Amino acid sequence: MDSFFIGTGVALCLLMLLTLHRAIRGPTAIDRIMGLNVIGTKTTILLVIIGTIYHRVDMFVDIALAYALLNFIVAIAASRYFQHRKNLNPKGYGFRYRSEGEK
Amino acid sequence: MIWQLDLSVLTLIVICAFATIMVKDLLSAAIIFGAYSFLMCLLWTEMGAVDVAFTEASVGAGVSTVLFIAAVYQTSRTVKPRKSGRGLAKIFALLATLLTGLVLLIAEADFPGFADLSSPASLHVSPYYITQTLHDTNVPNMVTSVLADYRGYDTMLETVVIFTAGLAVIAILRRYKKDQPFTPPEPYILSKGYPDTIIRFVARQLVPFIQLFALYVVAHGHHSPGGGFQGGVILGASFILLAISYDFKTVLGIMNEKWNVLLGNLGVLIYAGIGFLCLGLGANFLDYSILSKVLPATDRVMARSHGMLGIEIGVAIAVMAIVISIYLNVVSRGKYDKGL
Repeated sequence: MDSFFIGTGVALCLLMLLTLHRAIRGPTAIDRIMGLNVIGTKTTILLVIIGTIYHRVDMFVDIALAYALLNFIVAIAASRYFQHRKNLNPKGYGFRYRSEGEK
Repeated sequence: MIWQLDLSVLTLIVICAFATIMVKDLLSAAIIFGAYSFLMCLLWTEMGAVDVAFTEASVGAGVSTVLFIAAVYQTSRTVKPRKSGRGLAKIFALLATLLTGLVLLIAEADFPGFADLSSPASLHVSPYYITQTLHDTNVPNMVTSVLADYRGYDTMLETVVIFTAGLAVIAILRRYKKDQPFTPPEPYILSKGYPDTIIRFVARQLVPFIQLFALYVVAHGHHSPGGGFQGGVILGASFILLAISYDFKTVLGIMNEKWNVLLGNLGVLIYAGIGFLCLGLGANFLDYSILSKVLPATDRVMARSHGMLGIEIGVAIAVMAIVISIYLNVVSRGKYDKGL
């Protein structure tokens, strides 16, 4: 049974890699916020899975609960940022510096 | 330690760390750093360090990323491009980094393995803590007893460090001068009334549960991961959630600045006061077993358990107040008029 849970955990990590790609590459910051939120959800599940592997779910479920309760604060804060500073898709904010021509 | 999960989580962490440094948009860097913190929490959990993981979870999910976003909000989102012609410095930096990494790798070879029973750390004091905690203090979670009882000095000074950090933020950022009257920014005018009904409703319904959970974390730290620090951060995060979903004045209405600073002081005072109470009753500083003289119906073992609960409550109050006041100062540039 443990190998099943380990396999599930590794599969979730692989799925997290895809989400992380969106969080890192995402053209706008909204994509990144979405990616972060999904990573947080997957973390919640993975914590419980690790607890099941160690046969001490009672120790691990508190941390998962903390994530479940607090995960969305970052998303709301970042959204508020865009409500105040309307600059959703600026040019040159990715992995390159803003070049001289584009403002 | 499960090597399959270890390997996958570590790979993700390295990717996240590189992306955080490489990305030029500071807001995105803050968000990717949040993902890094999630993954770090997974790594701690997977290594069995549940209390550390809990700290990382409450700080990473609730506070640190929000503080970064608040700092970006009040400063600038872009990185200035470096002047070219720094090739030599870059090569030197690369060499220094590689050399340091090499030295660390060489030093790593002499380290004992993970959970090595013959390592010095497992031979000297750990067996005492592992075998005697329940007998000495009646606290099943030995991390809590080591943190709050055997190593009570260290934790007290850590609380003082947090308190000093809060004082430093207030001293640097807080401005009392009323230079211009409050003018609502454009989004407030655009969305007059109750624009965020869903978010406000969810936050209003959720905040009591978050605070109840935080109190549970503080009180149940003897039996499960958690304790004063984690509970205090979660309490502070609930106020930050209110400040973001409603506005600045709501939080100031519940917890004004004077009370906030007073509570920060009070928390450290509770911790040190329990220590001095032990001193006054004729034992060493922070030796809780002597508290059985003043606490009704407790023997010397239970007195240590109750003393730990007392200092956990002090830590929680101090951390909550400091987290709130750091956030309020950073997000409003110390003007306390409007925030995110």
